[in-house]
Amino acid sequence: MKRTFFVRLNARPHERTVAASLCEARWLRCAAHPPCVGVASRVAATGLLLFASLCAAADWKIAEPGWRYEFPRDHHAHRDFKTEWWYFTGNIFDADGHRFGYELTFFRQGITPFAERDPKSSRFIVDDLKFAHFALTDVSKQTFRFEQKTSRGAFGEAGFDDGKRLAWIENWTLATNGDDAFDLMASSEAGTIHLHLRATKPPVVHGENGISVKAAAVRYASHYYSIPRMQTTGEFFANGKSHPFRGESWFDHEWASGQLAENQVGWDWICLQWEDGTELMLYQMRLENGEPDASSSGTWIAQNGETTHLRSSDFRMTPIAFWKSKASGAKYPISWRVTLAGQQTEFVVRAAVENQELALGPITYWEGAIDASGTRHGRAIKGRGYLELTGYAGPLRELSR
Amino acid sequence: MAVYLATQIANHSANRAFAATVDLVAGKAELEVTSPHLPETSFPMVAATNGISAATPIVRGLVTFPDFPSEYLEILGIDVFTNAPFRTFDPASFDAGELDLLRWLGPPGSIALSEEFVARHHLKAGDKIRARLNVIDHNLRVGFILRSKGAPILDSHFAAMDIGWAQELFGRRGELSAIQLRLTNPRDRDNVVTELRKVLPKDSKVTAPAQRTEEVDKMLGGFELNLSAMSLVSLVVGMFLIYNTVSASVARRRHEIGILRSLGVTRLEVRALFLGEAIVLGLFGVVLGLVGGTLLARLLAGAVAETISSLYVLVNVKQVVLEPWSFAFAGTIGLGSVIVSAWLPAQAAANLEPVRALHGSFQEGALWNAFNPSSTWWWNGLLCLALAGSFSFLALSTGPPWLGFAAAFFVLASFSLLVPPLAFRFSAGAGKVFRALRRHRGKAAVEAELAAANLSRALMRNSVTIAALAAAVAMTVGVSVMVFSFRRTVEAWINDTLVADLFVAPASNEIVGPSSFIPPAAVHFLETHPAVETIDTFRDAELSMGAETIAVAVVRGSERRHFQFVRGNGAAIMRRFHDEVCVVVSEAFARHHHLRDGDSIELITPDGAGQFSVAGIFYDYTRDQGIAYMSERNFIRFWHDDRVNSVAVYLKQNASAEALSKAFRAGFSRNGEFVIFSNQSLRVRIFEIFDQTFAVTYVLLTIAVIVAITGIFLSLTILITERSRELAVLRAIGASAGQIRKLLLWETAMIGVLAALVGLASGVCLSLVLTGVINRAFFGWTIRLAFPWRSLAVTPLWIVAAALVAGLVPAWRAGRMILAENLRSE
Repeated sequence: MKRTFFVRLNARPHERTVAASLCEARWLRCAAHPPCVGVASRVAATGLLLFASLCAAADWKIAEPGWRYEFPRDHHAHRDFKTEWWYFTGNIFDADGHRFGYELTFFRQGITPFAERDPKSSRFIVDDLKFAHFALTDVSKQTFRFEQKTSRGAFGEAGFDDGKRLAWIENWTLATNGDDAFDLMASSEAGTIHLHLRATKPPVVHGENGISVKAAAVRYASHYYSIPRMQTTGEFFANGKSHPFRGESWFDHEWASGQLAENQVGWDWICLQWEDGTELMLYQMRLENGEPDASSSGTWIAQNGETTHLRSSDFRMTPIAFWKSKASGAKYPISWRVTLAGQQTEFVVRAAVENQELALGPITYWEGAIDASGTRHGRAIKGRGYLELTGYAGPLRELSR
Repeated sequence: MAVYLATQIANHSANRAFAATVDLVAGKAELEVTSPHLPETSFPMVAATNGISAATPIVRGLVTFPDFPSEYLEILGIDVFTNAPFRTFDPASFDAGELDLLRWLGPPGSIALSEEFVARHHLKAGDKIRARLNVIDHNLRVGFILRSKGAPILDSHFAAMDIGWAQELFGRRGELSAIQLRLTNPRDRDNVVTELRKVLPKDSKVTAPAQRTEEVDKMLGGFELNLSAMSLVSLVVGMFLIYNTVSASVARRRHEIGILRSLGVTRLEVRALFLGEAIVLGLFGVVLGLVGGTLLARLLAGAVAETISSLYVLVNVKQVVLEPWSFAFAGTIGLGSVIVSAWLPAQAAANLEPVRALHGSFQEGALWNAFNPSSTWWWNGLLCLALAGSFSFLALSTGPPWLGFAAAFFVLASFSLLVPPLAFRFSAGAGKVFRALRRHRGKAAVEAELAAANLSRALMRNSVTIAALAAAVAMTVGVSVMVFSFRRTVEAWINDTLVADLFVAPASNEIVGPSSFIPPAAVHFLETHPAVETIDTFRDAELSMGAETIAVAVVRGSERRHFQFVRGNGAAIMRRFHDEVCVVVSEAFARHHHLRDGDSIELITPDGAGQFSVAGIFYDYTRDQGIAYMSERNFIRFWHDDRVNSVAVYLKQNASAEALSKAFRAGFSRNGEFVIFSNQSLRVRIFEIFDQTFAVTYVLLTIAVIVAITGIFLSLTILITERSRELAVLRAIGASAGQIRKLLLWETAMIGVLAALVGLASGVCLSLVLTGVINRAFFGWTIRLAFPWRSLAVTPLWIVAAALVAGLVPAWRAGRMILAENLRSE
């Protein structure tokens, strides 16, 4: 039972500056070893890494119950684990009130287990593959741009966790600024964005007992926390002018050595920041037969930061509108009706812009800004957030069983 | 023409193979930074230099395979993160056809191989192969397939792996082999180079990759010109043949010419008729030649590549490159030579007087006997010889070197011009001898006497046949004398210089040249072994002298190794060699770089340019580009590098070389990591290489001789058809069929003897030009002339024998001819 996943890290032709690196070597690919039947981890991230990582080699640490989260320690890299990402999404507004959505994600994909690394070996040897995605949605103009960067990092131009910077690839950086604040920077052809994020809520750990379980067997899991609301300010520099921004961001940090389960074809993930000061994260793993996996779950976060873990039986997500991509041919459910029966909550989410597809190859995915409105305990609620849809553009996994 | 074309194709294929190698490695780079020890930390600075649009680092090296004897790979360590704008090939996964980046970067020793290499050794994905480098075996894993992008030629000796693991494999942590660059604006190149120099180490070179191809083209130029010149001999021999054929046709059809002329056909039209015919036939020949040449090229390409690899650069001719232009060129030359050689006979035909042409009793005369070998021929012949002498002088004193070939041409021309008067004299002389013999011993030599007379009657045509054969013989003689002299000279040189008892080198160096080093422990073992008196180390280095790369041999220098210096006191020079900052250079090197004793050369050391004086010039026959020797002490001092490629061991008296080899093998070479040559076996090996070098030469010579002998066969066949009436008359007046055959064989034998004698004489002259002029001028080698007397003495015998064999069939047919038919017109 050998299977292989591909992750294509390639940009569209005009995006080559970004993707030039992974360049023609476009595939990230890994064949699962027989013993490590997979589990997908979460969800929030595009999970590219999980696809890529697939093999939980014995040398990598496995996410196990009982992890004690500690901050700011856990903001930093966890190099004993094979896969890790720092995932920022947010809805921000310029001085004229125009709305924008952004996504900036740094991925770490371990190649050589930490214990086996030789600090004296060639600096060109890559112990961690480093790559990042940056996407910007202009809601008023209904446009969407995305880019990818990757680098060997042989000369320190890319890396993880040098104390202040948590991750960086050339001039895309994620740096800590005190215990509960982060500075982000990313450049594209259009300009450079600087964002300063300050947590207005404490970190929220997802799942139970310190792990977010991905499949029936507990050992296939990840460590996963979010800072669900971060006050965001910043500037966008373009053509010699600076445009100030203000808004709210969501930060996800997840690390694991697990993988996607064999019968899972993709997932749908939602994060929402409600106007009443609460937040919601939901994901559902989709099975080959179209049904959600029983390991799907979510977290409701109260104003005071208290969390309620949601099991798959606690919620239902029903697609109500679709958008078909001309680039990939994929048909994405960009609007959903979500029911949380136990919480007397029902709402509808809609994409702020239809086309927020990152056409990056076989695992092309959709990740974009959304609006939500509905009722909770009989009262109207409204919110904004991000939606992630994977596994719709052709086969998510190219398998060689 | 086929030979000429084949040689061109073979040469071109070798050059292209090398250029393809350069293209493959350099990819689409516009500039390349190289240095013997390029620190990797230069890379970010280079990449950030203004005007650079893309930069990628490269680490490369050669490995051999204990499990695949004589196989090697040039492994390119590439950086897939930065080399996309440069790449001419793609590493791809075996099954999916795309690169699995994690696996590419991941486990050590994962390598991408060409499909051809994989097929040749029946490898599959995941197989482990042992690769040998610096006498240590490393495990590589077959991980990927190399697919060429656009470029059709992917040398199977190329492999790629991630640059990080390549650095580890080749032990080059911290170092790069090259940085390849693309420019934002190619016209800005000079500024960029200036900027780069500011951040690069002093001994780095910034060049366009194409320059490397140019350098090699230049280096191979002399060698390939030699081959081309030799292939032209076949063409010249062929021209003689065409001349003969057309002349015969004119003679045979004089009656027809007469009729045509009386019917009002102009001289111009007659000429056009014969030229036209020649061209039509020539076209046919050209097509045959092109086909034959292509076939022959496949045969030659391998030999040429082998010679180039053993002498110059490692090159693998994977396929014969057929270029339209080389066909067009060869075709033009072929057709051109047809027209040139048919011109004179066609002219003669045009000049025939219609009345004389139609006259019944007209015999051979009009065309052939009209010729009377006046003294002009002597003078012209001698003039050509004088010209050959002056060109030789010019080639040696002022150049250009190709004047040597002009000299060789005039030697051949001179003897060709001397053939008619010589043949005339010979005919007269032989006639006298045979007449005298007849008086004494009856009719025994009537046929011979007649044959001698016939020789001068058809003087011009016979002369051409003789000249053609003589030219081929001359080439054979000239080249064999040259090779023989060369061999003798090298033998003498080896006796003086190759005096160590044992030579030890990494086995891989036998396959890929001096790329591996001897571990210090092995050197130490040999140095301190009780049977060893002393050792000498050898390091083959490529150093920069200005913009050029030169070969430098770094030796510890033993007192027992003798350089033969051209001038000066050897002992004093050697003292300077050891004690001062200097080099000694080979004769070829001195010639190439216009150096004299006491001059100095500027070598680029890692710390900047340094002056090294030339302490002496010595005779050396290892490289035609020349070589400089430097003491190990100086090399370590300036280049901070003490690695050695091979060791020469001098034993104590009565010590056993065999015992030392055994001990060394047991300690260091259990799996054949080293080759150990005894003095004797190294000599044998050197001469193997020597003979390999001249293998191509022999192929070309053999072809020239075959063409010439075919010429005799053809000439005689025509001769008999043409002289059928005359021969019939002879039969009618009582000559037996046997006598006719004897007559013809006598004629053939005389042609053979004359050709052999003239060929020998001109061959000896030619050998003077080849050894004394061409080799000196092109390669700067002093070769002491020596003659292989025995084989020279045999030459006339086999020439005459070959001529007789060629004459057998025509003579036999002449004996069987039907009298009445041939006499009808009489």
